[in-house]
This record gives sequence, structure tokens and C-alpha cells, in this order.
Amino acid sequence: MTARVRALQVVSIAAVLVVWEVVARAGWVDAAFVPAPSAVARALAAVGPAALAGLGDTLLKTAVAYVIAVVLGVGLGILVGSVRLLRDVLNPFVIAAYGIPKILVLPWIIMLTGFGTTPAVLYGTLHATFPIMLLVMGGVRDVDRTLITVARAYGAGAWQLYWKVILPAVVPSVLAGMRLGIVFCLLGVLVVEMFAGVRGMGYVMGALANGFKAPELFAATALVSAASIAIVLALDWLNDRLSHWR
Amino acid sequence: MAAPVLIAVEHVSKRYQTRSGAVDALADVSLAVDEGAFFTLIGPSGCGKSTLLAMIGGLAAPDAGRVLVAGAPVTRPDPTRVATVFQDPGLFPWRTALENVEFGLELRGMARGERRRIATELLGPLGLRPFAEKYPRELSGGMRQRVAIARALALDTKIVLMDEPFGALDEQTRVLMGEWLLEIWRRTRKTVIFVTHSLQEAVALSTRVAVMTARPGRIKMVLDLPYEYPRAIEAPEIVALRAKLWGEIREESLRAIAEST
Amino acid sequence: MTIALARAAIVAALVIGWEIAARFVSPLLAAPPSVVLPALAGVLTLEAFPDLPRHLLVTAREIAIAYALAVSAGLTSGFALGLYRTLGRAYGPILAALYAVPAVVWYPSLMLFFGLDSASKIAFGFLLGFFPITLAVLAGIRQVSGHLLTVARAFGAGPLTTFVKVMIPAMLFTLAGGLRTGLALTVVGVIVGEILGSRAGIGSLINHAYGLFRTADYIALVIVTLLLVVASDAVASLVEHRARRWSE
Repeated sequence: MTARVRALQVVSIAAVLVVWEVVARAGWVDAAFVPAPSAVARALAAVGPAALAGLGDTLLKTAVAYVIAVVLGVGLGILVGSVRLLRDVLNPFVIAAYGIPKILVLPWIIMLTGFGTTPAVLYGTLHATFPIMLLVMGGVRDVDRTLITVARAYGAGAWQLYWKVILPAVVPSVLAGMRLGIVFCLLGVLVVEMFAGVRGMGYVMGALANGFKAPELFAATALVSAASIAIVLALDWLNDRLSHWR
Repeated sequence: MAAPVLIAVEHVSKRYQTRSGAVDALADVSLAVDEGAFFTLIGPSGCGKSTLLAMIGGLAAPDAGRVLVAGAPVTRPDPTRVATVFQDPGLFPWRTALENVEFGLELRGMARGERRRIATELLGPLGLRPFAEKYPRELSGGMRQRVAIARALALDTKIVLMDEPFGALDEQTRVLMGEWLLEIWRRTRKTVIFVTHSLQEAVALSTRVAVMTARPGRIKMVLDLPYEYPRAIEAPEIVALRAKLWGEIREESLRAIAEST
Repeated sequence: MTIALARAAIVAALVIGWEIAARFVSPLLAAPPSVVLPALAGVLTLEAFPDLPRHLLVTAREIAIAYALAVSAGLTSGFALGLYRTLGRAYGPILAALYAVPAVVWYPSLMLFFGLDSASKIAFGFLLGFFPITLAVLAGIRQVSGHLLTVARAFGAGPLTTFVKVMIPAMLFTLAGGLRTGLALTVVGVIVGEILGSRAGIGSLINHAYGLFRTADYIALVIVTLLLVVASDAVASLVEHRARRWSE
């Protein structure tokens, strides 16, 4: 069965590429807008260095923003999540902060911090913090009441309760939040780069689009997509390794 | 006067493929169920009684042998002839009790007004009238099963199959449900095939009991219970019957446990 | 009761804080509520931006078309992948992988292909809304109790009847949730597309205000947009709650 599935995937992707190549070469689509896969492959070599440099730049900013977002999101999530009153009062605010399209405040952020690395990192952090916080809050809330009761019965004090019961039980939500957060972070950084012309992959892609360099743009898009998928897969693998007790 | 044989199981076998190899669920099972009977299948866990019932209901197919209902081989579920009730009532949560009961009639293409009438009429004698507009989540386990049984009865089939319908209920509810079911059966004169592993139910309800062996399931013994209803638990013949059945079942249960370890 | 009070207090504190803090910075960088409110009035009465209705209409149209496309494509692919096991096994992982890519990555290509007009915003909104809907259909199908399907079969229901009378009602709530998320994301996608560069629509107006340093007007427009976003989500949430009654 898996062989059949594998075959179907390979065949359909190959078929799409072949049809695409034929259609592009036959001139049925304007090559300026839809380049042939072969042209994209060639362009990958040409634009490679610049794209990789831009990607590296973006990933660096993303990493910084991610660390901040995770620390903030997990920290605040655990804090707000464990204090019943805080949680009840603040919940709608956090949900609102998550749900509001943050793109609306981007022009203002640019106004405040100018162009450069700061708005990118700031916006990336902003984008990722709230989803992480929400997930962790939910995780803390859902910690099995029974586990806490049992721990209390064994005489666990507040500090021990946190360390030995709540934190381990919250780990799955934290990991889920971290996995979600990376995509949000990367998205935020890319948006700023595209919007404000800040140096990075977003800027590279924006410039290629404005220059109508379709093959190069497709190549760059493929590159950043591959990078993103690789990062998420790596996080998933990490997630599996750390969650094997479940 | 002998009642005609309504359901005939002829040399049925069933084998399942599992990760650890092939498992014989049933091996050469043959049965005859008379019209109007309350026929109980009893046996240890894993003996294949649910599989056998599924085959009679057309939900599973035998690997060897065949099942005949009114002389015709069973190939698929036939809601004009056979209705099935499962241990999990399987009520549709988005439908009220009444709408659940209507389900089979709806599938038949019956007009709204008529199926509503039939379903409503059915609820009365079953004591379900006050619950007609309630949703399954508002009903107790016993109530839900009653609605599931009403849903099956709405098909007005000659044959009703029941796979441990009271298995998920507590002891007292079980006994009361058994009495309720008996009352319905005696009124409607349907042919019931009842699967259980409760000795109490088998003795209280059946006209005939088939004891199955541990896996691979075979028919070990078939006993007729020509006793009056309601069954007097202290009557000597009933006590003897229970002892006899228990002896046979106990042996098979031990064997089933031994095999699973 | 105390909770509502606490929340009101927080909101009040934020507004007051905003008022005070904004006075300390240049009016180009921040406008306090006392300035924003009259600006908001100016926006709503069309004094500040007389062609606001036209722009809103453009955005609304883009959202409507993008969402309609997202729903049709999302439902189709969701059911195709969910009901046909081989298809699901083959293309499910590919879909999940694509979902791991931040959607804005596709935007430059869309802009190159469609230009600055509505088409690129519609395409982007469609891409954003498509995934959650497909995923919700898949999740919905997966959580349908197999036993209910067996019961339907025992009653003689064929595949189409089972699909319409059992599967759809059983997954309606999950589906409604996905449609709601899809709408929220389509709206975001269209707005992001407009802000990243457009000639018409509320996003372009926001850019215009920000470009001219009309800070109070910019904030007012943001508030108007937020109100519309919240309103559309409120409608979707109502539909979702009606669907809950069905699936429970």
C-alpha cells in the first residue's frame, strides 16, 4: 500500500513538472509570468548566492525573534495560565491580540523604529508570541486536576508542584506552541522585509518580482519553501523525541 | 406444530488476518432459528458470537458456508427483513429521539407525515412518549438503548438481532430492560436473536439457548427452554438449567482466558 | 461580575495610558485617543476620505470572491482527500508540507503574475483560506464515529445516503469551525495583500494615510478595518454555534 502511495506521489509530481515544462516551452503561457521548470532550475544557480545570503539574513532575524517570542509566550502563558483570576480576566485580550491582523500596525511600527533589523525582529516576535501564549495557557489549564490532587496529597509544596507536576504536563503544549510559532515568526519577518524593503529574503523576492524576473523568483520561492519545510520537519522530529512518553 | 425455520446458518466459518497471523473466529457453525423464537447465543468473550450475528445481519460475510434468511442467502443488510440493535445504541446525536426512530422509515422514502405518525405511535407502548423531543445527550444509557430498540422496531421486520444490547448498563437496569423487552417480544411476536454473556438474561428471556465454545467458535450445545414467562428463578427446573448452562460456559470461559494469556 | 469589572478597568487603563504616552511623542508618531476620536468621526462621515465607500467595496469584493474560491476548493479537496484513502495518503503529507510554508512566500509570485490589482489579493486571500478549510474537512471526517456509519449500513443506507444523512451532520461543527477560520484568514490575506501594495481597497487607503504621515487618520482607518474584521468573525461565529447544536 505504501508503495502505491509513494508511486502516486512521485508520478503526479513528475506529471505536473512535465506538463508545466511542455506548456511553457510551447509558448501557451507567457514565459515572463510562468517560467519552465528547467528555466527555474537554471535560475537557481544564477540567483543562488544572493538568495542564500538573503535567506541567511532572514533566518538570523527569525531566530532572534523566535527566541524572544518563545520566552515571552511560554513565560507569560504559564504565568497567566496558572493564576485563575489572571486567566479569566485576560483570556479575551490574548485571543483578540492573536486574532487581530497585525499587518494593520506594521506601518506604525515602521514609523516608530524606521527601516532595518529592529522592525523585522519586533514584528516577528509580535506575530509569534500570542499563538504560543494561547497554546501554553490552554495547556496549563488542562493539566489534569487529578495529578495535582495526588501531588498535593503527597505533600508537594507550591514550588514542587510547579516543577514536578505542572511543567512536565505542560511540555506538549509548549512544544506545540513552539512548532506553531516558528512559522508565524518567519512569516512576520518576511512580511516586514517585503513591506519595508528591509534586507533579507523578503526583500530579494520583492525585488525579483518588481524586476519581473520570474525564473529567479520561482527559484527563490522554492528555496525559502524548502527551508521552511525543513525547519518544521526538524521541530516535529524534536517534538517526537521529547514526547515519547505519551 | 413445529414452527418453520426462519434463519439457517450452514457450516459457517470466518477467519481474520491479524498482525500475528490468521485467527479463526468461527469454525463450522450451524444453527437453525425458528420463527417467533427468542434465540440466545451465549459464550465467552472472543468466541465469535458478535461476528456470527453480524453475518446474519449482512454486515459481514462468511469465508465458508452460508446464512439463509427465509430461504434466501444473506449478502448485504436487508432492512425489510432484519433489524439490528448494537451494544452501543449508536443514536444520531443531532436527531431527537423521535427523529432517530424515524430514521429507517426515512431511508425507505416514506412521507414525512406518515413516518412521524408511525414513529409516534411506536413510542407510546414503549414508554418513550415523554422523551420524544429529547436529544440523546439528555437521555440516560438505558433510555438511549430503548430508543435504539424503538428505531429498530420501526422497521417492522420479522427478525430483530440484538448484540449485547444491555451490556453497557448496570445490573438493575439490565433486569428491568429485559422485562421490558420480553413484554415487547411477546406482543409483537418477532423472531429475536439475542447475544449476551449474561447467564441471567439467557435464562430469563430465551426460548432456546446456543452455547458457543471459546475461539474458534463452534456450537457446543443447544438447549430448549420450554418454560412459562415470567421465569420463576427458584423453580427447580430453572435452577438445574442455570447450573447446567453455567457448567458449560464456565469451561469455555476458562479456556478463553487460558488462550489469551 | 468582578471579571467584567477587571476587564473594563484594563481597557480604561490602556486608553488612559495611550492618551498620556501619546502626548509625550511627536504627533507624527502617535496620536492620543482624544485626537483619534475626532479623526474617526471624520473618516466615518467621509470627510477625511470621500471615496472610502469605494475602497471598502473593493476590499469586500476581493474578500467575497477569495472566500468563495477558498470554500469551493477547500471543500472539494478536503472531501476528495478524506473519502478516498489512497488520495488522502498520497497528497495529505504534501498538503501538510505546503501548510508549513509561511503563506507570504507565495505573494511576490502572485504579484508578478497578477499585478497590483485585485486579482493578486484575491489569489492570496484564496491561498490563505484554502488550507484551514481543507484541514477542517479532513479532521471532521476523521472524527465521525465509525459506529454511526455501521448503524447506517445496518439500516440499508447506501454510500450517498450515509454521506448526506450521517457524515455531514456528524462533522458539521468541525466544518463550521474550519469555515470560520478560513474566513478570518482570507480577510487577513486580502488586507495583507493590499497593504503590501495596491491601488485600491482599504489597505491602500491605510498606506496612503501612513505615507502622508496622517497618523490620526491612519489609526482611525485601522479601527474601522478592525471593526469590519470583528463583525465578519462575529457572523461566522454565530453560524458555528448553530452548527454546534447539530453535531453534539
